[in-house]
Amino acid sequence: MSPNSSPKSSRSRPRSEPDLFFPVSDSEDENESIGTAATLRYGQTETQATVAPPDGSVKGSGHRQSNGDSLFFASQNSDITPISPKLEPKSSLGAGLSSSDAGPSRPSKRPSPTRSSSSAIPSDFSNGYLGEFVCEGWSLSKGKGYCVPGSKVVFERPKPAKAVEEVYKGGQNAGPTRLVNGKVVKAKGNAGGKQVTLGAMMAKKAAPLVTKKPPAKAIVDQIIRFRNDRGFEIGRLSVTEASFLVHLLDTNIISLRGHVIDCPPILSTGATILLNVKVYLTRTAFEKVEKEGREEGGTFWQEQKETIEEEAMRKRKDALGLLFGRIGVKPLQSNALLLAQKQNGSAVINEKSLQHFPSGRTPKDLTRRSQSPSKGSTSSGGKGKGKTSVRNSDDEAEDEDSGDEAEKLNDDQLNELDNIYRKAQQGDNRLEETNPPNTFLYTLRPYQKQALTWMNARETGDTSVRDQSLHPLWEEYAFRKEHNEGQPIEVEDDDDIIDPSRKFYWNPYSGELSLTFPTSNTRSKGGILADAMGMGKTCMMASLMHLNREGEADGASSPPDTEPVSKRPKFVQVTLSNQWRAVPTAPKPVSAPRATLVVCPVSLASQWHEELSKMSVKGSLSSYMWYGNDRVDIERLLSQEGKKRVDVIITSYGTLASEFQKWNKNKEKPGYEGGSVYDHDFLRIVLDEAHNIKNRTALISKACYELKGQRRWALSGTPIVNRLDDLYSLLHFLRLEPWGHYSFFRSFVTVPFLNQDPKALNVVQYILESCLLRREKTMRDKDGRLIVDLPKKTVALEVLDFSRPERQIYKHLEDRAKRRFIQLDAEGRAMSNYTSILAMLMKLRQCVDHPLLVLGKASAEDEMGDRLLDAGSGDEIGNLKDMVALYAGGGKDVDTVEVDKAYAAQVLKEIGESEGTTECFICASEIFDEVLLPCYHRGCQDCIVNYIGTCEDQNKVANCPICNQGPVKMTDLRSVQRRRKRINQITGTYIDDDGKPHTAGDTAVTIGKVDLVSSTKLRALVRKLESMRLEDGEFKALVFSQFTSFLDLIESTLTKAGIRWLRFDGSMSQAQRATTVEEFGKKHKEPVVLLISLKAGGVGLNLTMANHVFMMDTWWNEAIEQQAIDRVHRLGQNREVFVTRYIIKGTVEKRIIKIQRSKTALVNASLAGGAQRDKQASLADIKKIFGLDEDDSEDEVY
Amino acid sequence: MSLPKRILKETERLMADSPPGITAAPKDDNLRHFDVTVAGPGQSPYEGGIFKLELFLPEEYPMNPPKVRFLTRIYHPNIDKLGRICLDILKDKWSPALQIRTVLLSIQALLGAPNPDDPLANDVAQHWKENEKAAIETAREWTRKYAN
Repeated sequence: MSPNSSPKSSRSRPRSEPDLFFPVSDSEDENESIGTAATLRYGQTETQATVAPPDGSVKGSGHRQSNGDSLFFASQNSDITPISPKLEPKSSLGAGLSSSDAGPSRPSKRPSPTRSSSSAIPSDFSNGYLGEFVCEGWSLSKGKGYCVPGSKVVFERPKPAKAVEEVYKGGQNAGPTRLVNGKVVKAKGNAGGKQVTLGAMMAKKAAPLVTKKPPAKAIVDQIIRFRNDRGFEIGRLSVTEASFLVHLLDTNIISLRGHVIDCPPILSTGATILLNVKVYLTRTAFEKVEKEGREEGGTFWQEQKETIEEEAMRKRKDALGLLFGRIGVKPLQSNALLLAQKQNGSAVINEKSLQHFPSGRTPKDLTRRSQSPSKGSTSSGGKGKGKTSVRNSDDEAEDEDSGDEAEKLNDDQLNELDNIYRKAQQGDNRLEETNPPNTFLYTLRPYQKQALTWMNARETGDTSVRDQSLHPLWEEYAFRKEHNEGQPIEVEDDDDIIDPSRKFYWNPYSGELSLTFPTSNTRSKGGILADAMGMGKTCMMASLMHLNREGEADGASSPPDTEPVSKRPKFVQVTLSNQWRAVPTAPKPVSAPRATLVVCPVSLASQWHEELSKMSVKGSLSSYMWYGNDRVDIERLLSQEGKKRVDVIITSYGTLASEFQKWNKNKEKPGYEGGSVYDHDFLRIVLDEAHNIKNRTALISKACYELKGQRRWALSGTPIVNRLDDLYSLLHFLRLEPWGHYSFFRSFVTVPFLNQDPKALNVVQYILESCLLRREKTMRDKDGRLIVDLPKKTVALEVLDFSRPERQIYKHLEDRAKRRFIQLDAEGRAMSNYTSILAMLMKLRQCVDHPLLVLGKASAEDEMGDRLLDAGSGDEIGNLKDMVALYAGGGKDVDTVEVDKAYAAQVLKEIGESEGTTECFICASEIFDEVLLPCYHRGCQDCIVNYIGTCEDQNKVANCPICNQGPVKMTDLRSVQRRRKRINQITGTYIDDDGKPHTAGDTAVTIGKVDLVSSTKLRALVRKLESMRLEDGEFKALVFSQFTSFLDLIESTLTKAGIRWLRFDGSMSQAQRATTVEEFGKKHKEPVVLLISLKAGGVGLNLTMANHVFMMDTWWNEAIEQQAIDRVHRLGQNREVFVTRYIIKGTVEKRIIKIQRSKTALVNASLAGGAQRDKQASLADIKKIFGLDEDDSEDEVY
Repeated sequence: MSLPKRILKETERLMADSPPGITAAPKDDNLRHFDVTVAGPGQSPYEGGIFKLELFLPEEYPMNPPKVRFLTRIYHPNIDKLGRICLDILKDKWSPALQIRTVLLSIQALLGAPNPDDPLANDVAQHWKENEKAAIETAREWTRKYAN
């Protein structure tokens, strides 16, 4: 460099513009192209000085020296260093020099681009006018003539080391300003002041200390001086006003121009000078920031300390935020979350959120937010915060499972969730439809074809299908047009002077700037298909498998997969194992991955298998169920060709988890030969019922994360079950950046959510918009038709009354439980006995189904419940059991054979005589469970038993209500079973239940001892089934209960009633389950009832062959019951669906339903048998259940 | 609160086919609460009178008897000034096989056959025993006076 040469030349041409010193590039021709409209105008009018970019600044320094003004600035020279930005190519300096020599007479240009490295920056971009603001400065000089209103000023930053003052001679055109010994000869007066540019330049790496002024380094650090266009120092900017500019100037992100607005005619030290400062973003600002950014991996966030780069970025972000606020730059487009944040006053939120964390533990991200644009904190303040905020990486581990109550979605938020879904769905009904290839046999509905379009686009990376939305963390701004100097300044609305064609984007979280549109795109391929239950997600996914058969070849496939690998340290192992495997096993086929892996609950595996084969042209797509003990080598399996070719592997979550453990154990061993599912690169991984991995710390979730595949799909009707964090796990599986990083997700979703920041839900919405497709049955297509036209569903809530003995037992049980709970609660031990309390509740819920269930000891929990119930009730121990035993006693030897034959004959005769009356004299309904009194009067079992009980209560003799004979004892009752006859509609003959013809009037009656071992619900069910049988001899019905022991009782009752049943529960093997479902689906000539345990069969199964559903008990979470109902009410159902929910009046069930409806916190895993968290809230609910905190008298319907 | 089927059926039948001289209709606001009228049986001091009663079916009905009370003043040894009725089937002899209809018929019968030996209104019963004729006359007078 030879700075001295150029100054001379420039001096020789006094009118040369500052641009001399800021040659745009090595080619003079580029001057035109580089300047933006604004800058051109600027240059032409030459009324203002431009800020010097680094290279210019170098020259500037030369220039100044050339003026021979070293005298004036001698003192400064020593502490001002010309530093060319580190990144600046030397060549540009050289070029600058030469051009400066060559082009003194050119119109001035903006600071030239100093870096050529960034690809994202259009080559013609030099800088952009951001806006202006008024700033106060203080005079450091005394005397006249330094400046007048309108004078241009040059801003400069002192640098250590060598002096580099860039002060340029103002625009020559502007006026023949001459300085003579510090006096301005004359400024041209008309236009604004003189132009002076100063490039502040500092390599961004370190802010050097100013050595010259040792006393107050910190203050010196903040000083921005300004000079007039002749190079005389006038003063400095107010620290409080301008400190945020320092960092930006130092890092060369902005350049400034300014002129004096007002100043005293004669300056005195400390006099106030009002300045107008125009701010330009330089090219440098948009260059890719070199940092170990989050895109490089989660490690960034977990580092213990801020790196220098991070600190620089943080300062930059803070400073830019302040600058934007100061100038009043408003985003053209921001996302709702940022807006919401601003509306709420981010500062407030942030302060609050900070208080949630002890100092030193504040997550850095939180701090980041605290310095958002509108916040007026100084950068030094920011710095301080930054230091305290150094993230302790250990926090995360603690945070992980601290899922406290606040994280859960409350009522409103759940509703909000619906809105989120809805917004994310906007416009989805205008998606194009894609037809599946003809190897796919099913006909897709329009909305399914739309899903196919979307899924295909997600897989192939076509992002045009949905409008691209701005990346949630970015804001869109536009540069402004500068008004021409000399023209009257019109007071305009901000919007009017922005230049919409020149946009830029800012990320207020990271401080990054960009000229290109940052989309919320991610590299991940796939997404979440979250259509409501029964919309045919399986079907849609199958069509996708047909559509996209081949992935990219291995080479191409590596980016999507290896990148995440590098991002997560643990994934390195995957690569490692690949290397291991490469040697010993057969070389992996180089062909593109084509296999799809489907992971689903075990109960659905065979359904996937069957559905896939049904939907596919034979031989076009074959699936293989890979689970159980005899799992074959995946590689071998998939390398088969021809008939044995396998396209889809279906496995269960359980299998995967065990495979994962095995693989984890073995993979590092030298002898490891691969062949695990983890060693294969799948084309596509599909998680069915993906909420199975909602707990990100669970083994199964980890097992799913580690799978290797190009495309990842999560199918779930409920991607968010209870808390927003549920979503995280899915995103992590999808490798959706940046949300797939826990700390990131936590910072932007979980933590704001904890602070009740609505932004959290907005973020979720944005995430969902990018990767989730959800339609509901009630949605309409673009023509306004329902997208799914399901038959009507009728839900009847049957409120039943306990029989007397049942109520006695129940009351007894409830009283004890209540007492026990109150006692525990009063002693403050409710929490520690939480499990026991739950067990007590369980007892109550069982008792509502059937008193006998109370005696069951299926689990340890039950025993605890037993103990609790027994304990503390003194002599009542066993009383309850006795009661139940008594209740059961009547049924001990129920057997028709034992009835005296003579008696039976007599009875039959009597009955035959009174055949006509079938109405019970007590309930006035048709007799149900007919029993016979010794006097041959008959009634419903319930009614008679109830009557006898009432008499006992009133100490009356229980005589026959009709003939007053008696007393009647329970044991005297005899049950009467008639083979029902009905008229065959076609032939007109009577047939009985076996379908055998009977002649009219032929009766088949059996007499037996009364089976008292029944329950209200059981009898109601049987009664209902019997009446259904009369209407439809081949109905199919589902009966759900959460207690398999109750299913046992239902079984035997149905058997007795002669109703055919099948059973489906968790104890059955996969094969058994498949057989059962198949059998149920067959056409039978009689009614079939499928007894299903709610937990085992509540999800996924497709049982549309049935159209009646009975819910025998209530579950805490209504959604689960809904799921169960949707087994039947889903695509493929073409009959009306009838749902009956049985509730017993005046029991816990009523309150459970209340809670269900209020959707409060109880809808969580803890009461559902899951983790032990959230006890506090649950406890409140338990109180509700015991009726301890509410007025029970109202709403007595149940 | 839903009404048991039995009550519905009984009401239906009462409305459709009421026993002679008896009407009963549930109130609009409470279907367990009936407005009843009973005509005084012929050959009795209550002949020509229309007596108003109220009848209420308790929650436990039909396990427990209905509650019935005269609203019209009546001079009768088994009915007190408050209208309460002394009738065994309304007390311990109640049977769930009985119905509203049978209860009202029994009450009508009671008007035709006063039983001063099991009195509720002691002064009336006394009067009845001492001077049956005068008592019956008083009953007639009351009927004319109140039960029209």
